[in-house]
Amino acid sequence: MMDENSLNGAQNVGVGQSRVNNAVTGDKIADDASNGNAQTVPQYTIPGILHFIEHEWQRFQAERSQWDTDRAELQSKIAVLLGERKGLQTTHSDLIRRIKMLEYALRQERIKFHRLKFGCDPPTVDLTQSPDEQGLELNADAEYPYSPVTNQMWERGRARLQNYLKEIGWTETIIDVRSKCTRNLLKLGNAEQEENISPNVNGTETNNKRASESQGRDQPAKKSQQQQAMADALLLDTEAAVMSSFAFLEPADVEMDDEDYMGDDMDLVTGSSDSDMKQLKLKTKGVIVNDDDADAEAEEVLNDLNRLAEGEDANMNMVVNNQRINEGSMKRRGVMTGLVGDEEVDSSLGLGELAELTVTNESESTYDVNNSKESYRKTWNAKYTLRSHFDCVRALAFHPKESVLITGSEDHTLKLWNLQKTVPAKKSASLDVEPLYTFRAHNGPVLCLAMSSSGEQCYSGGLDGVINCWNLPNSNIDPYDSYDPEVLKCSLEGHTDAVWRLAVNHTKGNLVSASADGTVKLWSPQSKIPLLNTYSSDTEGIPTSVDFVRDETDKIVVSYKSAVSIIHDVETGKPILKLTPNGMSGATDPTKYINRIISHPTMPIIITAHEDRWIRFYDANDGTLLHAMVAHLDAVTSLAIDVHGLYLLSGSHDCSIRLWNIANKKTCVQEITAHRKKFEESILDVAFHPSKPFIASAGADAIAKVFV
Amino acid sequence: MVMEAQSQQTQQILRRNRPGTSAKEFCQWPDENFEEMDSTLVVQQYIQQLIRKDPSNVEKLLTMPDGQDEGVWKYEHLRQFCMELNGLAVKLQTQCFPATCTQMTATEQWIFLCAAHKTPKECPAIDYTRHTLDGAACLLNSNKYFPSRVSIKESSVLKLGSVCRRVYRIFSHAYFHHRRIFNEFEEQTFLCLRFTHFVTKYNLMSKDNLIVPISDAGEIPGESEA
Repeated sequence: MMDENSLNGAQNVGVGQSRVNNAVTGDKIADDASNGNAQTVPQYTIPGILHFIEHEWQRFQAERSQWDTDRAELQSKIAVLLGERKGLQTTHSDLIRRIKMLEYALRQERIKFHRLKFGCDPPTVDLTQSPDEQGLELNADAEYPYSPVTNQMWERGRARLQNYLKEIGWTETIIDVRSKCTRNLLKLGNAEQEENISPNVNGTETNNKRASESQGRDQPAKKSQQQQAMADALLLDTEAAVMSSFAFLEPADVEMDDEDYMGDDMDLVTGSSDSDMKQLKLKTKGVIVNDDDADAEAEEVLNDLNRLAEGEDANMNMVVNNQRINEGSMKRRGVMTGLVGDEEVDSSLGLGELAELTVTNESESTYDVNNSKESYRKTWNAKYTLRSHFDCVRALAFHPKESVLITGSEDHTLKLWNLQKTVPAKKSASLDVEPLYTFRAHNGPVLCLAMSSSGEQCYSGGLDGVINCWNLPNSNIDPYDSYDPEVLKCSLEGHTDAVWRLAVNHTKGNLVSASADGTVKLWSPQSKIPLLNTYSSDTEGIPTSVDFVRDETDKIVVSYKSAVSIIHDVETGKPILKLTPNGMSGATDPTKYINRIISHPTMPIIITAHEDRWIRFYDANDGTLLHAMVAHLDAVTSLAIDVHGLYLLSGSHDCSIRLWNIANKKTCVQEITAHRKKFEESILDVAFHPSKPFIASAGADAIAKVFV
Repeated sequence: MVMEAQSQQTQQILRRNRPGTSAKEFCQWPDENFEEMDSTLVVQQYIQQLIRKDPSNVEKLLTMPDGQDEGVWKYEHLRQFCMELNGLAVKLQTQCFPATCTQMTATEQWIFLCAAHKTPKECPAIDYTRHTLDGAACLLNSNKYFPSRVSIKESSVLKLGSVCRRVYRIFSHAYFHHRRIFNEFEEQTFLCLRFTHFVTKYNLMSKDNLIVPISDAGEIPGESEA
């Protein structure tokens, strides 16, 4: 409601202003008309309202999922913190117990000493006083309370304590395990202490919260507060990593429960229960990581935990955690080698791009094993949104090796994007990329692009009839670097009207261009006289698109406005073969208008995209129509084929791009709705990255998208 | 509306620039009524349609259709200005060199610092021009401030003023230092004229800053005296 009102208000203001303006300039008629309308009913346009509602709905959805995520994250954070607290409490009570025992031992020693010295029991007052004295001593020097005592006395005390413990029922093994972990702990803290005390610290778990003297308590309590604070700070840093570690720890935990120390593993239990949730979340996201990644991450987590433990030298619990994780991850490794293929390993937060990139290749084997036959090819998901153009993006070209894309737009510019330099977008799974470089030289819309096989140059053709050759700037350039005129290498002038299509021959580096001036020209951009040849057809009209046949140097295929395509011999310019759609009498048929023609990279097949929604496949040797299919709901505008020639990508004004398996049955593998319409145009170009798992689409809505 | 009569035909016409379309025919389709446009980009479509028809008809260009959200209207206009300024930048690239125009100046009074950098820098004029346009493109396309082209937050509308101020300096530099280019460009596009009227009408810049004189200054109420 609020929004609607404010919208309404804005409109009224707007109308009011225009009224003032009109009145001043004296345009009364228009003024009256608009005025009357505006005052009675606020003018909403149906599309405006629909878009508003759609927009709001999307926003709510996004926010809701964001809240869900946040809640899950906060809950798991709480669980971790609770565990942390529990651990610290255990440590705390442990230390207090230790102090008690030592106090007791000392008292006994003193009594004995007194007895030996004076031959009688010490006065009872002594007993009551001694704890106080001990307490004071503790306060004064908490770390080394017993420095003056001799080794001999310690021996006796230790033996006695061991006796006590046996009486309570603690076996040697438990004592050993226990002391091992205490040693670990004290290694970080104080070696001397370790030597002397560790064997004595045998889990007096059974004895509990026996009210202890306040003096003894004060010190550790303070300390644990500090620890807590420190742990909190560290946790903030390491939280993400810890979170994910719990996810993969979970199964290991279950196996280990038996041989565990009592009591103080509450934290991990809570941790793992929340990891369930986490795992679920990850599963729905479909993020999959192979085991190497999981291990690598485990190590990372261990490092973090180590740091944590070092930060709090008496935090036994963290050390315990640490050991457990060590064992856990080792177990995990064992499990992994046994189970590869059976189990999805979900454990990733914050792996970032690396995870995304590796996913595409390695994870498939585990991910799709049970799916249908076409599943060996993963589904593509929108990952990067490239917004920075002001108008329709007309053309796309990927760098042959790097994750670099160039877009050409009707806003007269080309932009260079490095997909590895992203800005994480708020509240959305896709990443925003900002352009690194803007190429300005065209006096009008840029209509087509082509990339040289080395990736050092790129060519752009514009409505101004000029073909520009650009030296690509470094893909890590500072976007606000100073202007370098050398980026524009040269301009190929010769066309007298819009250049609509460029294609590069990868063996020779030659460039072929199709222009609305009725000609197709062959260029050698590196030569002094770049123009090599000009081709045209007297009968078929203006060329619409062009490509080299199977990337060979001697043949090009040109589509003409008449919906006929002709294969020309590059040397002589003579037509070799004519490709005609079925059922065409030879007269021009505007409904079969060819928007794009491409050649299969390895087989003698020519593919055309038509205004009448069809994609047609021709044999490049004899010109027969091999296959034809209705591919979209509206005109097919663009085609791209992957380097192996197995998949075809098509874009259409129906706002969708479709991926076709052309190796066998020419089935549609995936459809993605990608762009919105401007006038009656939607998707203007599609592209495959030659060496990386990227596809891209360019839209009339001024946005380009990259899918992985 | 002028296109009232043609509204009947519009259903059959596909407004597309197919490959092979000549520069003359590019976008030369019959006008479409604002009310009949049904895409998300109506405002852009409408503005571009008006510009193609007559770029000098400032009055018509700046008359907002009924029921249009003013924030979006201003935003789309500014997008269009920045886009067309690319044309001026292309021309400046041929004549404005770091060696000759070492600073972004217009008249002798001001030196403008380039805001595209972490600490504002005295970029040469051509760099300033490019950086400002690039920066404006990033801001106006930012998912954070302008996630939608259908409705715009009030706080984001406030950003438009600073973009206007910065890009205006390109006009003023061209006018005072590359007059021939400026005149050539202005003859074709009337961009500075349109821009001046636009910022005046919507109070996006203070009048003191509008230092480029425009020919028919009398027509707008309260036009800058310069």
